[in-house]
Amino acid sequence: MSDINLTVSPGAEPMVKIRALTKLYSQGDIQVTALDRITLDIAAGEFLSLMGPSGSGKSTLLHIIAGVDRPTRGECLVQGVDVTKLDESQLADWRNHNVGFIFQSFNLIPVLTAAENVELPLLLTRLNRAQRRRQVETALEVVGLADRARHLPRQMSGGQEQRVAIARALVTDPALIVADEPTGNLDSHSAQEVLGALQALRRDAGKTIIMVTHDPKAAAFGTRQIHLEKGELSA
Amino acid sequence: MTLPTFILKNALRNKRRAFLSVSSVAVSLFLLVTLQVALRELTLPAASPGAELRLCARNKVSLTNPLPARQRAVIEKIPGVEGVSPFTWFGGEYQNDGAMTFAQFAIDPKETRRVFTDLNLTDTELAGFESEKTAAIIGKISADKHHFHVGDHLTLNSTVYPGALEFKIAGIFSGTADDRMMFFRQDYLDDSIGTPGLVGMWWLKVKSAGNMAPVIQAINAAFQNTSAEVRAESERNFQLDFISMLGNVKTLIASISTVVVFTLVLVTASTMSMAVRERFRELAILKALGFRRRELFAFILAESFGLAAAGAVLGIGGAYALYTFGDVGKMTSGIFVSFQVTPRIMGWAALVAALLGIASAVAPALSVARMSVVNGLKTLD
Repeated sequence: MSDINLTVSPGAEPMVKIRALTKLYSQGDIQVTALDRITLDIAAGEFLSLMGPSGSGKSTLLHIIAGVDRPTRGECLVQGVDVTKLDESQLADWRNHNVGFIFQSFNLIPVLTAAENVELPLLLTRLNRAQRRRQVETALEVVGLADRARHLPRQMSGGQEQRVAIARALVTDPALIVADEPTGNLDSHSAQEVLGALQALRRDAGKTIIMVTHDPKAAAFGTRQIHLEKGELSA
Repeated sequence: MTLPTFILKNALRNKRRAFLSVSSVAVSLFLLVTLQVALRELTLPAASPGAELRLCARNKVSLTNPLPARQRAVIEKIPGVEGVSPFTWFGGEYQNDGAMTFAQFAIDPKETRRVFTDLNLTDTELAGFESEKTAAIIGKISADKHHFHVGDHLTLNSTVYPGALEFKIAGIFSGTADDRMMFFRQDYLDDSIGTPGLVGMWWLKVKSAGNMAPVIQAINAAFQNTSAEVRAESERNFQLDFISMLGNVKTLIASISTVVVFTLVLVTASTMSMAVRERFRELAILKALGFRRRELFAFILAESFGLAAAGAVLGIGGAYALYTFGDVGKMTSGIFVSFQVTPRIMGWAALVAALLGIASAVAPALSVARMSVVNGLKTLD
């Protein structure tokens, strides 16, 4: 059972409000507890580093906050919306407008250029082509890759690919950016660049960032670090 | 970038596979169209002009049993009959080529204008046919194929009667449903085989459509309980009867067509499944980015439909172009005179392609719809 409550002070409305969040997996007859009654608040503009060993439930927690997984019990409110109550279609729409994703293995579409990859989430919006192009250019400028707009992922380094993924995450201007081991596949130099970019997003654009990482050096870029151990928060 | 661009880029990401898939659909649809046209040509032979007033009378026992020549006088007296001609199969082979490249029939030249009204023949050619016993008239397709001209001589070895006959071409006709045939004189055949007083069958014309049924009944009744009972029927019925002698061609072609369509579905469904399986992870990313199930289904459907449509354009279009602008007679060694790719057949093949596009998208689309983002992300690249 999780005895630690990491909530904000009374009166301040957190960006993410998690209450007694539990996630159980069934593996045959055995039930595995991935998250055990987690209670947690994340303030707007925070850069939270979620740490913990493999299987501790940190990615599960991130997925639930981002609306790509569902808890077994509990509440998860993001900007006042309980994402656990939304249906598939509402969740998809909500993700498109409110969450930016950054993955460990970049996950760019190999047949699309950097600009086209960044433009993907905008295809679901009502923006016209010119408006989309402007936003894509801005996002690529933010991550310092405006000159690589027409390059395919295979023509870029790992660090550059991840920066394109960051541009894709912020192109819809979401309030929340979730990053699952964003530096896991990068060398230290590229990792520094990516973490610096995330830090700048928090500092300059006021984005709320939740990052899962194993690496204490990466975690140090965050404004707060929390640890998960066997599905429970630890001090 | 637009959504269609995105779909196109996905469809063409593995160009070799896309090419092979489109080719397999194109070849299969080409084959399907060919089979359907062949079926149509075999089961619905082109109607000759004037066929609605023509009928034929054959031996009731079998088409191969001859009829006595004396029946003609009886038939001619039946009210409503305008003209009667013998119609005797000769079965001649030209230059020992081992195959019947054109059919030859012995007729009465004086009845040419009355009975075989669809023959386009000049008066001079007809006069030549009527005046010379060894004269023959031949259809334009066979004349062109064998480079026959008026005045040429040709010898045919009969597979039915003993010996060979030499003919002189008096005219080249066109305008019939099958311009491959050759007609020569019954009296020439009679002379060559010793006037046995037999003919293959009777071909006759009635004065009006109202005479068809009464004349058929009268002919059948006239020879009932004789040594050579007759079965009279319209030209159209005779053609269909003749086709039925080929066996159940319709079932055979329908079976092959079904196999073609089934194979086509398997090939396309397999291609689409592979294409989707190898980018499961990417589809999970799209889901994470906010794409809904229906949008992902639309992507897969559009891609599958696009492959089928490209194959359809090539396959159906190719068949249309080949059979419309190509020399079908030459391509089929004269087996088919016409090979018409009708709008109905093209529409049917297009419908098969459309259903194929939908059917092959269903299974991959369902697996994508069921996939959770988390599980999709765990998929290896």
